[in-house]
Amino acid sequence: MTTPCPAPATARDPRLVRLAARRDLLGREGRRSCYVDNAEFLVYHWSGVGEGFAPPTGDGAIDQRINIGDNNCRVALGVPYPRAAEMPSKRHGLELDAFNWATDYAFFLAHHPCSIHPEEEVVGEFHWQLDEARQFRYPDEQRAAGFAARRLGAGGISYAHTCPDLSIGLALGWGGLLRQVRDSRARHAAVGHAAEERYLAAQELVVSAIQDWVRRHAERATALARDATPQLARHYRVVADTCAAIVDDAPRTFLQAVQWIQFFQLAERIIAHGNGYGRLDRLLLDYYRRDLAAGRMTRDQAQGWIAELFCKYGGNYFSIGGRDRDGRDATNELSRVILEAYDLNGGDNNLGVMWHADMDPAFFTQACEVLGRHGTGTPVLISYDVLRDSELRSGVDPAHAWDVAYSGCQWYCVVGREYNDQDLNSLVLIHPLQRAIARAAGEADADFERLFAILSEETSATAEALRDFKNATYRWQARVWPEMVTTLCMHGAIEAGRDCTDAGAVDYNLTSVNVLGVPNVADALHAIRTLVFERRRWTLAEVQAAVADDWQGREAMRQEFLAVDKFGNDLPEPDALAVRVGEMVRDHLESLRNCKGGHFRASLFQFMGHTYAGTVLGATPDGRRADEPLAHGLNPMHGRNTRGLTATARSFCSFDFRKYQGGSFQIELEPSYFPEGMRRGDLIEVFARGFFKLGGVQINLNIISMDRLRAAMEHPEEPANQDIVVKVTGYSSHFVIMDRRFQEEFIQRVNYPSL
Amino acid sequence: MPSPPLIFAVHRNSTGDGPGIRTAVFLKGCPLRCAWCHNPESQQTRREVWHLEQRCRRCGACVAACPQQGITDRGEGLHIDQDACTGCGTCAARCPAQAMEAIGSERTIASLADEAARDRVWYESSGGGVTVSGGEPAAFPEFSAALLTACRDRGLHTAVDTCGHVRESAFSTVIQAADLVLFDCKHHDSERHRAWTGAGLERIVANLRLAAQRARTGACGLWIRTPLIPGATADPAVIAGIASLLLHEAGDAISRWELCAFNPGCQGKYRRLGRGWTCSDSLMGGDTCDALLEVARRCVADRFSVFLTGLRRDHLQRTA
Repeated sequence: MTTPCPAPATARDPRLVRLAARRDLLGREGRRSCYVDNAEFLVYHWSGVGEGFAPPTGDGAIDQRINIGDNNCRVALGVPYPRAAEMPSKRHGLELDAFNWATDYAFFLAHHPCSIHPEEEVVGEFHWQLDEARQFRYPDEQRAAGFAARRLGAGGISYAHTCPDLSIGLALGWGGLLRQVRDSRARHAAVGHAAEERYLAAQELVVSAIQDWVRRHAERATALARDATPQLARHYRVVADTCAAIVDDAPRTFLQAVQWIQFFQLAERIIAHGNGYGRLDRLLLDYYRRDLAAGRMTRDQAQGWIAELFCKYGGNYFSIGGRDRDGRDATNELSRVILEAYDLNGGDNNLGVMWHADMDPAFFTQACEVLGRHGTGTPVLISYDVLRDSELRSGVDPAHAWDVAYSGCQWYCVVGREYNDQDLNSLVLIHPLQRAIARAAGEADADFERLFAILSEETSATAEALRDFKNATYRWQARVWPEMVTTLCMHGAIEAGRDCTDAGAVDYNLTSVNVLGVPNVADALHAIRTLVFERRRWTLAEVQAAVADDWQGREAMRQEFLAVDKFGNDLPEPDALAVRVGEMVRDHLESLRNCKGGHFRASLFQFMGHTYAGTVLGATPDGRRADEPLAHGLNPMHGRNTRGLTATARSFCSFDFRKYQGGSFQIELEPSYFPEGMRRGDLIEVFARGFFKLGGVQINLNIISMDRLRAAMEHPEEPANQDIVVKVTGYSSHFVIMDRRFQEEFIQRVNYPSL
Repeated sequence: MPSPPLIFAVHRNSTGDGPGIRTAVFLKGCPLRCAWCHNPESQQTRREVWHLEQRCRRCGACVAACPQQGITDRGEGLHIDQDACTGCGTCAARCPAQAMEAIGSERTIASLADEAARDRVWYESSGGGVTVSGGEPAAFPEFSAALLTACRDRGLHTAVDTCGHVRESAFSTVIQAADLVLFDCKHHDSERHRAWTGAGLERIVANLRLAAQRARTGACGLWIRTPLIPGATADPAVIAGIASLLLHEAGDAISRWELCAFNPGCQGKYRRLGRGWTCSDSLMGGDTCDALLEVARRCVADRFSVFLTGLRRDHLQRTA
């Protein structure tokens, strides 16, 4: 607890301060907002309205939508895409195939402005997404399967949310990627693989379009330099040189590599949504060492460029730390540069530090110090070994599993080898519970074990309906909305001539499913076991009726259900039941195979469905009224963990996270939590070390006064309130721009005060 | 006092009851009656019931249930006659809204020590452990010593938080089992001390000497805690007086002195118990506390370190 930690970076480059101010302004003005269709989308991750997150403009845009925060890469200009009507698919016909899609993509990029702002040295942003210009719609057969799944309490979309291996693109450059595509196309053509050949022809369009876009950035910067003051011109010339150098060739310098990554992310995310981008301290390490050794760059410059990359949009999704191929600590000198680059400007960012027991202790101390200083969830703290072990358990080859990367969200994958629908599918456990109670209430001699057995059967039915929906999606995905830029950085996909969303393209296709409501279902079952089956206070039919009526006229009964011990207090019975429920769902999911050959996996988080779940699902027998949110992921139900942070953490860690695909522990601390004489980072570090020792996988930590958030809800116009950033769930956002209901849910969370 | 004592709270993940992350076990029953007591429910040894008004649905179940007829609904709210109350808990059991809460439960030493041991990973990572607090732990010397010993047997660092106003033999029994003694020193003047807390300094000073004696051998640490109470102890002359007392009696044995800023946040507890609150309603000013801290530091020079607690937390809460 006494390891010295460098003081916060104080000598901030005024240029970076101004760039960060612009970043913050974009967030506050709602120009980076991300929307979803409706409450049902949040709960089931599919609403039948759209196919993904709600397009902000265009034919697919809808009026009533929910703002989930300013975590978007897109910088809104306030107008729809001006050439939407001229899209090739609208002039020549829409076909569900990659070539038709790529033709639209190439047109869209060719007619997209190159935005370069004064003083930037890392450039590029986009203002519209492809789904604002091209129709994104699955055929009716897929939708029918979707509604069938939703009736049973499941749903999901499929796109993005994987992790490409950017080292592939960094090594080859756009020119090298194009040559790889052409070589593969020729090989497939030679053996008559028409489908593969056509896909690779489409890839040529895509890569060429990106190269042209990069070239236009160089030209634009050159033109801007001509009319600029000498000081600004210097920055524009840096941009022009950097962009020109990477149109065709692989990046050679650190700055070129950073800029290449930025273009890759833009080219990829412009199709509507994005991915995790891997282990930044590994991707850039060789460039960093070479440039420093050659005297081409200073450490401060490298840090500044990373800080600029982090300013480009709030949703930077990188991780650092972890282990290398041989199991040694992968933390390096660049890890520190990256962490300090975040420390320079703070704000919303999704950087994660992958801890393990052999990590350089000074680095972890510094990471905790940074987290404590900014108090906005960055960096997220993750246990690398749990990530790796869960990948191994899923059947991932040990030769691949070590290169697992935390996504920046709540999930993780091996870079460049998985396409898993992470964080996109939802199994809402409340539905099977409701059906199970109804069935068991009709059986005269049902006991608790019988109720649980019925719940298991009903959960299985829901899981199977989800499988059918996913298969209906997978059969169309590569034709409806291929992910061609991502595919360029996936191992073996270009060689196979297949889109990474297609079967047979990548090594692992393991469908991941967010399970919503585990704490509520566990609390409900424990209350039923206690009050219905043990104490005989009520019958199941009475419970069913009470819940159906949202406990109207039964407040005394509701209080009895509330008073039974709850998950999250380190109490053996409810905690064991929660584990049993989790295992039951996991077993059902793991027994199912998708049409790409992978099995289903359970994730113990769900991003924000709990917020709106009440209105969609009604009350629950844990004493929860319909207007209350559900529990957030695996975190205990709001207000029910009353025995302190460590007790909650112990309950949480009664799950073996190696058997699941993530489960973030969300902590909101009052600033008063930290006693005088103890640095915030120190306390965070000792907590995190204990938490990871117990097997925990991820910590999202906010240090925020709930009084201040309440004030911000009342006075969002106050400048001080506009700057509040919170780690909402798998992403960070400015608090005041989020949907009201999200804000309300946030302030109901248990905030741990001083004790 | 009878034994075993009732436990009125177990706070896990405490960061204010000694070093590191700790589990604090609070025993019910205290020989002092400090005018500013922040845990009024800790004073009586017997079980009490308090009323959580915001939960109450005014259904009258408790009024009907009380075997002593000690609960009345007076229109503006429920009133519990604390003199009549035997702490039987019937009202709490009958209340459908958990608005009546019986304070204090019997716990075995093993169950408390086992619960404390559950947070071992955090004690190890933070240098924390278990603190037995009160009430007054040394009012139950056998129980407290046995609890501390049971925690020690589980490999946990142990601390006892004491007001010092107990028999010397009881005090010795308890501190034998503690790795750290957190010793309250509320005033240097015995008569003023009596006026504010109901007891003079005689036993307290004697026990401070015992703690210092043990600390000098290296068998335990010794921290002093002084509440800063407006109108009572938050006075430069009092702080200087306490400093002088500490230096004289235990200056070479103390490692840390904490000035704990007054916080009126406990008023709600008095309301729940149906008791009046006689201290200030407002938080102390940061400048006042800083000035007192300065006085304390000047007086003890660098014999031991002095920290301000409590206030800074609230400052942070309002400004962070």
